[in-house]
Amino acid sequence: MSLFSWHKSALPTFSRGGVHPEEHKGLTENLPIETFIPTTVSIPVSQSLGAPAEPLVAKAAMVKRGDVIATVPGGGLSLHAPISGIVKSVQTGPHPTLVHDTTITILAKSAEGDPEFAEQPGWQTLAIPQMLDRIKEAGVVGLGGAAFPTYRKLMLPKDAKVDTLVINGSECEPYLTCDYRVMLEESERVVLGSWVIAKIIGVKNCVIGIESNKQPAAEQMRKTIAALGMEAMDPAVKMSVVVTETKYPQGSEKQLVQSLTGRLVPKGGLPLHVGVVVQNVATAVACLDAVRNRKPVIERVLTVSGAGIKNPKNLRVPIGTSVEDIILHCGGYNGDVVKILFGGPMMGRTIADLDVSVTKGTSGLLFLTEAETNLNSYQPCISCGECLDACPMGLEPNRVSQYIEVNRPLETEQFGVKECFECGCCSYSCPSHRPLVQFMQVAKAAYRRQERKAK
Amino acid sequence: MSDESDKPANPLHLHLSSGPHIFSGRSTAQIMWMVNLSLLPALLWAWAVFGWAVLAITLSSILGCVIAEYAVCRIAKTASTIADGSAVCSGLLLAYTLPPGMPIWMPFIGGMLALIFTKGIFGGLGYNIFNVALVGRAMMMATFPVEMTTRWLTPALGKADAVSAATFLGQIKLGGQEALTKMLAALPDGGQLWFEFFLGMRAGSIGEVSVLMILLGAAFLLWKGIIKLYIPLSILVGVALMAPFSPAPAIYMLSGGLWLGAFFMATDYVTSPTQPRGQIIFGLGIGLLTGIIRNWGGYPEGICYAIMLMNILTPALNDWFRPKRLTAGGAPS
Ligand code: SF4
Ligand code: SF4
Repeated sequence: MSLFSWHKSALPTFSRGGVHPEEHKGLTENLPIETFIPTTVSIPVSQSLGAPAEPLVAKAAMVKRGDVIATVPGGGLSLHAPISGIVKSVQTGPHPTLVHDTTITILAKSAEGDPEFAEQPGWQTLAIPQMLDRIKEAGVVGLGGAAFPTYRKLMLPKDAKVDTLVINGSECEPYLTCDYRVMLEESERVVLGSWVIAKIIGVKNCVIGIESNKQPAAEQMRKTIAALGMEAMDPAVKMSVVVTETKYPQGSEKQLVQSLTGRLVPKGGLPLHVGVVVQNVATAVACLDAVRNRKPVIERVLTVSGAGIKNPKNLRVPIGTSVEDIILHCGGYNGDVVKILFGGPMMGRTIADLDVSVTKGTSGLLFLTEAETNLNSYQPCISCGECLDACPMGLEPNRVSQYIEVNRPLETEQFGVKECFECGCCSYSCPSHRPLVQFMQVAKAAYRRQERKAK
Repeated sequence: MSDESDKPANPLHLHLSSGPHIFSGRSTAQIMWMVNLSLLPALLWAWAVFGWAVLAITLSSILGCVIAEYAVCRIAKTASTIADGSAVCSGLLLAYTLPPGMPIWMPFIGGMLALIFTKGIFGGLGYNIFNVALVGRAMMMATFPVEMTTRWLTPALGKADAVSAATFLGQIKLGGQEALTKMLAALPDGGQLWFEFFLGMRAGSIGEVSVLMILLGAAFLLWKGIIKLYIPLSILVGVALMAPFSPAPAIYMLSGGLWLGAFFMATDYVTSPTQPRGQIIFGLGIGLLTGIIRNWGGYPEGICYAIMLMNILTPALNDWFRPKRLTAGGAPS
C-alpha cells in the first residue's frame, strides 16, 4: 500500500497481490476433531474431476464399509461405501457443484466384521507402481478442494524433472481450521504421508508450508519429523517446515510454489513445469492410509463454522453425510442464515438444498449470517485500482467487468481472463462490491463456447 | 432419524452467488464521505478568515450538485445515488475553487451544470471523463468571468466585513516582477510570507488559502489508504521544475489551488490512471502543464486546466501502463 515498500515482510510469501481477510478461525481452531456418523449417507458418484463413475450396487444390496460401490468404466477412480449398511436407493440427487448427480443412499446397519484397515506389513518397501496402485484403488483425490485424482498427479510424465514436493498446510481460507487440526492431532500421519508421496515422485526435498497464523501446527510438524527420526529412516528425503506470511491466497499452488521455492509457474503451466509437485496435508494423510492400511477415502475432516451455526466444530464425517444431519449435530442454526457454503468464504460455493452431502472435496461447511457477508447490489467501477493491487496474478478484472457489461466478452483475453483462477481477491477488495469473479467466469464461458464452436 | 419437527428448515432466503462471500468492508460511499470529511479543515479555515459568506457559497454549490444528481437519477429512472457522497464531494470541491466574494446563486448554477454535463449525460459515477468540480469551474469562468476573477477578499481572522483584494498570482501575471516587488514590500517581513501562504492569511479561492489545512486533510486520506502519493508528488515535482521560470518561485509553489488540485482533484479515482507508472506520468504532465499555463498562458492559475487536459489522457495511460502479470512466460516449458 505504501509508496516505498522498505518494510518487506521477513516471512516468505508470493510477490504480488493478495488480501488479509478477517480470519474467523477462532470459532473452531481450538476444538479437537470430533467424529460424527449419521444414520444415512448419500453419495453422489461424481467425486472427482474426470469421467463420471457408474454405480455397481443396486437397491437393497448389503455393503460393508470400504466396499467398492461405483467405478469409472475403463479404469478411473473407484468410490467406496463410507459406512456399512443397506443400499436404500440409487437415484438422482443433489450435488454441491454439479447440481444433480446419480446418488447412492446407504442406511447404516451395524455389520459383523467391519474392516479394520490394519497396517499392512512391508508397506514402506513397496515398489512405486504398487504404492501408486494402492492410492488409485483407495480413490484418493486432492482433499484441499480441487478433487483432482491424486494418482494421476503423482504419475509424472517421463521427461518431468521434479525435485521438490510441497505439502500445503496453508489453509488460507478464513474460517477453515480442519487442516490445522489434522496437523496438530495427526502430525505423524501427515509426515509419513508426505514421505510416501516424496518416495513415489522420487524427490529429495519435501517442504511443508504453513502460514504464520498456525505456529503451533508448524512446531508440532517439526517435532514430529524429529521424533519419527525421518532423517535416519530415509536419508534420501530431506523434510522441512517453512512458515510463510499469513496472506490469502497463500494456499494456491502457484503462489505457494513461489513463496517456498521462488519459482514462477509459467503461463498456462503447472508447478510440475518448474519441478514441483504440491499436495495438501489431508491428501498426504489419505495417501498414507491408502498405502499403509489400504484404507480408501470414505471419510474426511471438515470445518463446520460461521456465525449462523450454534456449535461450530471440526468434524470427521463419512463421505455422503448430508448438510441437514450436520446442522442437527451442530445444534441447529444460530440467527438468520443467508448463505450456506461448501468450502471457504473466498472460493466456496453456495448451496440451496439441505439434502446436499459432503463429498471428498468438501473442506468446510459455513453458515453465514447477513452481518458476515454482503448482499447489497453492486455499483459502477470507480477505477480505484483496488482490484488491480489485490490480484495475485496481475490481471485486470476491472476492465473485464466493463467489457462484460457492454457485452463484449470475447475481447477480454488481453486483460488476462484465461489466467484467472477465481481466488476472489479482486471482488473482496472492490468498494463498489462488483462481482468481478462472476464477470471473469462469464468471459471464460464465452471463450469456451467459442472454442467449442470452432471445433 | 428423529421426529420430523426436529429437522432444520431450509432458510427461506438462501442466497446463491459465486465467491467471494466476504468483503473488505470498504464501500464507495464510505470512501466518498471520508474524502468529504477530509475537506472540512479547509472549509473551517476559510470560514474563520473570510466569514459566513464562504459557508453560503459552499452550501449553494453542494445543493446545485445534489439536486442535479437527484434529478438525473429521476429522469434516468434509476435509484437515487445522492447518498453515496460523490455529488456532495463535487459540490465541495467546486466551491473551493471559487472566490469568497462571489454572489451566492452562481455556484448553484455552476454545480448543476457541472453535474449534468460531466456526470449525468455520461451515465453517472464512474463514467465521467473529467473531474466534475473542474468542469464546473471552467464553465463558471466562461459564464461569469468578472465574478470569477475579481471577488477576492482580504483575510481577516474574526473580522466580519472583509475588504476586496487581489491574488498574488494574478498580480504577478499582470504586472510581473514589478507588481510582485510592490506587494512584497507591503508585507511586514519575509517570514510573514510563509505565514500568509502556508497557514493561509491571503486572498484566494475558498479552499486553497491554507496549504496547512489542505495537507491536514490529505494526511488523513493517506493514512486511510484512500489516496497514494504518486500523483500529488509528481505534480509538485512537475511544477517545481517550472518554478525557476517564474519571478517568485516560493509563491509559485505555495500559492493557488496547486495543493488542493494535487491532493484532492487530480487523485479523483474515476478520472486518473490506476497504475503507479501511469500515475507518475499523469502527475508530471499536470505539473508541467500547470507551469506552462502560468508562465506563458492566459491564466494566473493553471492547475485546473492542466488536470482536465491530463484527464483526457487517462484511458490511454491505463492502456499503456498495465499491471505486471505474475506469469510472464508463454507456453509451459
Ligand atoms: S479472481 Fe481472478 S482476477 Fe480476481 S484476483 Fe483472483 S486471479 Fe485475479
Ligand atoms: S476495485 Fe472495483 S471499483 Fe475499484 S477499479 Fe476494481 S472494479 Fe473498479
